[in-house]
Amino acid sequence: MAENVKNYKKLNMTKIEAKWGYIFISPWIIGTSVFILFPVIASFILAFCSWDIVSPVQFVGFGNFIEIFTKDTNFWVSLWNTFYYTLFSVPLGIIGSIIVALLMNQKWKTVRLLRTIYYLPSVTAGVASSIIWMWLFNPYSGLINYFLGQLGIQGPMWLASETWAKPAFIIMSLWGVGGNMIIYLAGLQGIPRQLYEAADIDGAGSFDKFRYVTLPMLTPVIFFNLILSIVWSFQVFTQAYVMTGGTGSPGRSTLFYVLYLYQVAFKYHKMGYASALALVLFAIILIFTLIQFKFSKNWVYYESEMKK
Amino acid sequence: MAENKNSKSSFWEGKKLQESIMSGILYIVALLGAVVFMIPLVWMVTSSLKPAIEIMKLPPKWIPIYDVRYEPARVVSKGAGVVAKIEKNSEQTLIYIEKPLERHEFSAGAEIKVKKGKKIAMGDLLAITADGEKTADSDGKVVKIEKTATGKVVLIKQSGEYVYDKVAMARGMVIKVAQGETIFPDKIIADMPKTGKLKFIENKDKTKTVMVLDEEGYMFFKRDLPRGSVANFKDETVVKSGDKIATMLPQFFNYVDAWQTAGTKGENFTKYTLNTLLITILNILGTIISSTLVAYGFARFKFPARDGLFMIMISTMMIPAQVTMIPTFIVFQKLGWIDSFLPLIVPSFFATSAFNIFLIRQFFMTIPYELDEAAKIDGCTYFQTFTMILMPLIKPALATVAIFSFVYSWNDFLTPLIYLNDSTKYTLALGLQTFTTMYGSYFNLMMAASTILLLPILLVFFFGQRFFIEGVATSGLKG
Repeated sequence: MAENVKNYKKLNMTKIEAKWGYIFISPWIIGTSVFILFPVIASFILAFCSWDIVSPVQFVGFGNFIEIFTKDTNFWVSLWNTFYYTLFSVPLGIIGSIIVALLMNQKWKTVRLLRTIYYLPSVTAGVASSIIWMWLFNPYSGLINYFLGQLGIQGPMWLASETWAKPAFIIMSLWGVGGNMIIYLAGLQGIPRQLYEAADIDGAGSFDKFRYVTLPMLTPVIFFNLILSIVWSFQVFTQAYVMTGGTGSPGRSTLFYVLYLYQVAFKYHKMGYASALALVLFAIILIFTLIQFKFSKNWVYYESEMKK
Repeated sequence: MAENKNSKSSFWEGKKLQESIMSGILYIVALLGAVVFMIPLVWMVTSSLKPAIEIMKLPPKWIPIYDVRYEPARVVSKGAGVVAKIEKNSEQTLIYIEKPLERHEFSAGAEIKVKKGKKIAMGDLLAITADGEKTADSDGKVVKIEKTATGKVVLIKQSGEYVYDKVAMARGMVIKVAQGETIFPDKIIADMPKTGKLKFIENKDKTKTVMVLDEEGYMFFKRDLPRGSVANFKDETVVKSGDKIATMLPQFFNYVDAWQTAGTKGENFTKYTLNTLLITILNILGTIISSTLVAYGFARFKFPARDGLFMIMISTMMIPAQVTMIPTFIVFQKLGWIDSFLPLIVPSFFATSAFNIFLIRQFFMTIPYELDEAAKIDGCTYFQTFTMILMPLIKPALATVAIFSFVYSWNDFLTPLIYLNDSTKYTLALGLQTFTTMYGSYFNLMMAASTILLLPILLVFFFGQRFFIEGVATSGLKG
């Protein structure tokens, strides 16, 4: 009898606790339903429609997708531009940030100041830094071509050249490696000292220690970072918009995917078509992420496996 | 045995030496890298303080202070001819050069086919060169055949109408040619005196003009000085060539100019700053309130489907914003919220940033649950436990979230670009972009405006860098 009451009380308590749990997370439930769940579903529906906001929605079936894949050269150009950008900026960015993190993991007196300097550019990302880089890349009055000239190299036309505009964006993206550097630095500091001591006893040199201790221990962080870097890199927009005035010039050489999507949606008001483009982007990112998860078993090292 | 020990210790020392050399090299690499990383921002600040006339000059000058020197320049003739007339008015001297001379230059290998004094007609053969035959451009008479270092020059005095070349210069210049004199290219026509008297003039727009005058009071050297320049001499001082007559100091007025000239409807950066501040502050508030509530719910309560919901939350981080952008835009449009700040503010009150919730939840997990239980025994409600016991303990996490949402909101460009049309409602980021399209060639003003946008970020960064780095470290790793 007494036990029953106790059980009932306990049950009641769990119910109350559950109720309060839901109350506390309710802003997220509402927010996610309204700003994420509903829009994602709506996007799926809109992608099969033609709609310019003003006139009524028209169902077009797979029409948008057929047009995207068979007729729309802008789609292929912007996809290629974005792939190109991702293909270079992501690996170079990861290698760069690991190198900087390794340097910033040394025990120098000024290391805190240096970390600040490397990290700073990543928080200034946006319109202002795009404007600075626009000038740095100016073929005549920019610092980059001036320094190249000092080295005896005739600098290219950068943002005015169809060949060199994308590399310019990639170089600019490398300026922001500090953001990832902090993540790798935290990863490096989480590696147990005993591993290095054991390596020392085995007579390992600095390179061996990096190859057989640091790098494997860092792979989970690299994996996490690789996935997010690709997601972000596919969304490059602000720099391209500011530096080309929203056109993706010269030619279509800096018409990145999201810039094109923006033009379709907010310049030409083709909401259905833009939704279809957004879904294609989503699918591409999803496929990339799944491929990475599939191959991650071959190179990502998890400590827990060791304990088995 | 002893020997062995010895050699071992020297080997040890050698390795240590190697390591410290290595460390030194790495340090130099790190320093050089840091210098490269700083260049864009340093260049931005330096350039924002330069006067407009110096802004495009290379090699780069890193300290925006410029000396204005009196450096005599000379006027040199470009072509050949005869000085026909020298005319003086109160300000200028005008020299008219008749161009009766046709000048042909040939390399040493050329075979000259005319002689001095010969009359020729247009089209007559003058010489045979490696490139072929060269002919006269007009009728005339060969007046001179000259040998030069590289070959020969043939001068033909043209018959027919003369062409005037008018060279204008300041009246104070010293004329070096006389009427009737034949001049050739690179001949000095006029020179500035070695010394002269200074005169400063205050212009209406608060800039100054400095001039150097000759004894009769005629000007021969003139330079406009931007605001914030100081004269190094008094008026009427006699200066000689090479003297620093004035110094252009850092142009803080660029900031005033940039601040006031932004916008198309007469609004300026004050409006943009207020808009941005309002949006940013409300965003920080909304994010902190909603994210902590939700994080508390996920960290401290057991309820059905909790872990599933948490996984959903984490996976929403992977959804590109573009997928939700269009329907969200349509919803806000139907609500009539376009061209208002609401689409930029309201979502933050509904915990739309999974990253922030995750970060605070991780922090909650480090606080012992016994605290909650003790509070419960003392009669605290869940809400009281949350506000009175836990909130003070997670302050560092809140600071991190506040800083991140500040930076995000301050830098955000796409959302204001989509939702704000009226330029009086623009944020700083959007205003700066419009400013660039209007003043694209005024690099000093553009850099000043960029500095205005970045300054708050830089300040927050320097005072709060601990929270940036801790925040990324806790969230980035345990993920």
